[in-house]
Amino acid sequence: MPCVILLDVSLSMSRPVLECESYQRRNLAIHGINVLLDHLAATNKLEFVSLVVFSSLWERLVPFTRDYDSIKTALNNVEDYDKTCIEPALAGAASVIVDEWGSAVPSQVILITDGNTGLGPSSLKHSLQTIGQRSGGEDRFSLPFTFPCKLHIVTISGSQDPELQTSLNMFQRLIDINGQGGQLFVPEGSLSLKSVQQMFRELSEKYFSPLLRVLRCGNLHCNVNVFPAPTDYDRPHDFQHVYKELFREIAICGFLDISDVASPPFISRHLVLPTSSTREKPEELKVDSEKGEAKEDDEDDTVDGRTPAFTVLLHGSLKVEGMVALAQIGEGWYGMLYSWADSKKKSNLMLAVFEPGVDSIPWLGELNHLAPMSSFKQSPYGEEDNKTPFPVRPPDRRSYSQNCVVWIKQAGLQADIQKILRHARKLPEKQLQFYKELNRVRRAALSFGFMELLDALSAMLDRECTLLPGTAHPDAALQLSHASNALRSETARDYAQNVVPLTTNFSSGD
Amino acid sequence: MSYPHSHKTVFVLDHSPQLSEPSSQPVDFDIFNKTRGPGIIPLAPVMKTLWTCNVEAAVEYCRIVYDLFPTQKLVRFITSDTKATLLNSWAQDEQSVNQLMLRFATIGQPNVRQNQKNCSIMHGLGQAVEILCQPTTKQHEIRTSFTEEASTVLNRGRIICMTLINSDAHIRMLEDCVLDTLIEHNKLTASSDNLIPIHHCELELIHVVPYGEKSAVTSSPRRELSPLLASETHVTQSGRYVAIRLVELVQKHFGLFSTTVTGIPMKEEQNASSSANYDVELLHSAEAHGELLKSDKEGMIVPSKEGLNTQTVALKWCTPKSNTIELQNCTGAHRITPVDVYSRPSSCLTNFLLSGRAVMLEQPRKSGKIMSHMLASHGGEIYIHILNTARSILEDPPSISEGCGGRVTDYRITDFGEFMKENRLAPGRTQPRDSTLPIDKSKSQLERMTRLWPMVIGDTIIFNMLSHLDPLPSLIVKEHLDNDEVLECKKAIYHVVGMESRNEPLPVPALGTRGKGPKREEQYRQMWAELESFIRGHVSSSSQHQKVLECLLECRRPAEDGSKGKKQTDKGSVKEEKMEIGETDLAVKELERYQRLTEREKHDLNKAEKSSPDSPPAKKFKGKSDLISKPSAGPQSLLTLWTNRIRATHAMRHQEFAGRLQSSGSKAELYPHMNEENGGDPASGAANTGMNINKNIKKQT
Repeated sequence: MPCVILLDVSLSMSRPVLECESYQRRNLAIHGINVLLDHLAATNKLEFVSLVVFSSLWERLVPFTRDYDSIKTALNNVEDYDKTCIEPALAGAASVIVDEWGSAVPSQVILITDGNTGLGPSSLKHSLQTIGQRSGGEDRFSLPFTFPCKLHIVTISGSQDPELQTSLNMFQRLIDINGQGGQLFVPEGSLSLKSVQQMFRELSEKYFSPLLRVLRCGNLHCNVNVFPAPTDYDRPHDFQHVYKELFREIAICGFLDISDVASPPFISRHLVLPTSSTREKPEELKVDSEKGEAKEDDEDDTVDGRTPAFTVLLHGSLKVEGMVALAQIGEGWYGMLYSWADSKKKSNLMLAVFEPGVDSIPWLGELNHLAPMSSFKQSPYGEEDNKTPFPVRPPDRRSYSQNCVVWIKQAGLQADIQKILRHARKLPEKQLQFYKELNRVRRAALSFGFMELLDALSAMLDRECTLLPGTAHPDAALQLSHASNALRSETARDYAQNVVPLTTNFSSGD
Repeated sequence: MSYPHSHKTVFVLDHSPQLSEPSSQPVDFDIFNKTRGPGIIPLAPVMKTLWTCNVEAAVEYCRIVYDLFPTQKLVRFITSDTKATLLNSWAQDEQSVNQLMLRFATIGQPNVRQNQKNCSIMHGLGQAVEILCQPTTKQHEIRTSFTEEASTVLNRGRIICMTLINSDAHIRMLEDCVLDTLIEHNKLTASSDNLIPIHHCELELIHVVPYGEKSAVTSSPRRELSPLLASETHVTQSGRYVAIRLVELVQKHFGLFSTTVTGIPMKEEQNASSSANYDVELLHSAEAHGELLKSDKEGMIVPSKEGLNTQTVALKWCTPKSNTIELQNCTGAHRITPVDVYSRPSSCLTNFLLSGRAVMLEQPRKSGKIMSHMLASHGGEIYIHILNTARSILEDPPSISEGCGGRVTDYRITDFGEFMKENRLAPGRTQPRDSTLPIDKSKSQLERMTRLWPMVIGDTIIFNMLSHLDPLPSLIVKEHLDNDEVLECKKAIYHVVGMESRNEPLPVPALGTRGKGPKREEQYRQMWAELESFIRGHVSSSSQHQKVLECLLECRRPAEDGSKGKKQTDKGSVKEEKMEIGETDLAVKELERYQRLTEREKHDLNKAEKSSPDSPPAKKFKGKSDLISKPSAGPQSLLTLWTNRIRATHAMRHQEFAGRLQSSGSKAELYPHMNEENGGDPASGAANTGMNINKNIKKQT
């Protein structure tokens, strides 16, 4: 998930560190950031990182990038500014993320500061005190973030710092207000290069490590890195709070045609990249990367590239056949694997995670009731593969796909009347349609308590009878006056009883 | 978690004689006479009553709710005159517009002969509170579940009352009536198991005056009357205005928003050759515009074009170019319904979508085109799909060929494609007696079918000669085999035995340009070993599978052990004889019959094999590590020729270890009957082989 490094560059950050005079707090912070960037370069090369610095103002120094060296370069040229103002900085980080990714992509913000929370009306203390007095809109407190985002706060501060405890309480409050996860980091022991390094390593490993999973299809399996790491689901729904944990395994349950799944909605998408069995641990990786990029690539060619991986086979077949694999990722939680190509035609295996629950895709029916096609007596896909059991139809039809009647606007009623008239003029050929429409209108009128319409309709049919041309079929006049009389009778008020055509000498012939 | 008021809605409709007053908005229904020449006097317009307009509006409210939320959003109707009448229940099957239309027809118009003084809306309001105390299926489900939520379920609901109100004091009276009944009923529910107290209720009073008239009371905003009840009063004119007001309310009550699809090209009804552009307004959950509603940067939210006092997002229609189906990057899908379902443009759009086409919707922005939504139908329901428009964090991904296994070129892509087709899913029902979920059956089928599934062509022989083995590979993976299927499997094995005896080449992937690769005998050894482990993987499924394995072992024995095989079975233990004698006879008969039959087949087979694409060349052959396999490949030197000859002479004098002769692969199992003594499964393949070794040793001694 994308990450904003929000670095405090106020004057207080250039205070020298007591234990080792040659370093300023800022140097330690930069050193720590480098630890994080190295960790990403080694394990999670696809993460986007942006660097934002702040004092009383904030500035985006590096836009989101995977080129971590550009951030390192920018860090070397950071200057000192005035005082620490945390609230606007958080708003800045939020706008950097929303402008780039919209408000659906889970992200992380790492606020790196020295525990000095500012003074006066721009201080964090003041911000937190006035939080209850804010109105909405522009004046809103920047937390909680309006998009899924973890907030980590890293303090470059010695534990003996007298103000630290008050600051820490305020920082923890910020994380709690955001309420979407994240952690407060404080260096252990005295403030030194080593303790800061250790702190950032902990942060990196806990929140920036690749998510390793096993992709399984029966006995075929493959170790994979799922990027970006999917998170456990924890959201309130109507009537219940839904909390779902991800399984250690992505277990394929079966396959579906792309046309049958029909662009289902998902909550997130993830690349599923095979990892080689020899390089699972990040520590080993680090050794690799230190030896240099070229060496690593070389190894890929010789060992990893030529060992068959199940993901590659699966991807190839999904792509060729135009299919997706339905996979279970948690208790009552599913997703689908498919071949995805970016604009440059580079394709890879993708996991789309559905909303938890077995009924998240209505047209697939309940997901846990999907059965192998072999368990049906007749193949649901037809003997010649020319049918499909999808989509699953709901028990009742929607108003737009059935013959409902809405007369709120005059035009609706007029159109219905016109239809009756049209058929009336073509009697007796259109006798069937004439009575069908007549009964439809009659029933609607009964439902709406619109009895006036029945009388009016009756009068209209009488008039039509008189207007019939001399060439008209004699049956037409008979049917019209029969229908007109029927509408006036008591039986017309019975919803269940239809007005039926008059049996005449003419109609009995055919 | 939330307990929305919209879960339960109760409509209370005034059905007293005063509602049969005309709405004062005339309906011209006889307008199609212009073309019929002069002299026709149009019939007088008809007038809907207040009652008719109210019913139309309430039914429209329900139509929208049921279209967008087929379950979990329930609406009930009560009419009130001299007494309250319930029209439907909370049950799901009574929640449909058709049901309502039927019930309203039974109720009919207000009865003008009733005395207005005996009628009161209070009857209905009291009844409304009472039925809000009845749990719905969903509420009952949660309350009786053993989860944390069971005790915390909050019962909230909404009462929409359509009546005539005389004065502000009248409003107070109605509110007090509801509040008093609420408190009273909440007390009653305490002593009942079947009823639940109401935790909060919203009362919407709708006062309807005939069209063009002024009202004595005015609308008042929402007020919290008590922790239990909030009330709001709406005043509206009758006719179509009451319907408009209810459409606005349904949007507020259910969190809906509207999208107007603009510029839909449609053929003119009168003149089919020309086409005009139309707009259609749709309603759906506001979540479909979540992103836009947070920040409308380019003024895409405009006033509704259907005459509602609401806003809508205007999106441009994009005529679909082709019928190609691809997966869209879709982050949400919500049901839609047209605001004016009865208009021609609406039905044109919905019919187009219901026919299976999908329509992209474009945001009219100054900077480039952005496809932000898609309309598509699934199973007779139309959905608006939200497409992701923000930058993707997955941009510039590594290609699959760059990762692990990316350089391998001989994956069995086509075979796995077939595998996927065979393992497609279809919606099934759970059998009442069967506790296994269908999806778990799907998983166990995948497990069975992948017990031996080599991923690359170079790793397998048997899967490169499927035409010879059919139908064994597809049968053996089944959960159960019947006798015919076992026979089919055996036939396939005999066929391959036949091939071996005729010394036909196997479609073994060639080793490349240099060398000849493993010798034919060796190929057959590997093939048999692979086939055996393939079948062995399924032995545990049933005793029928076991029979197939036994057949295979039986067939391999003569191949490796000459005529000894037959004698061994004769000398075998009584128990085994009983078990196998039928099998062996059958097997021998089959083999003989088969060999008689094959003369023509053999011809066909050989012909087929020449042109067979079954054996694409693979760069590298990876056999199973074989203890006694000779070093293969490379041209033979004089030394190897010599050693081979010496070895052959020695082999003639040398007696091979009996165990190895009998074993399935190149490894011999030692002390195999230890298993039997320890209560191991005597029917298993390994034990069976062990018994044969035992016999062999006896014979030698």
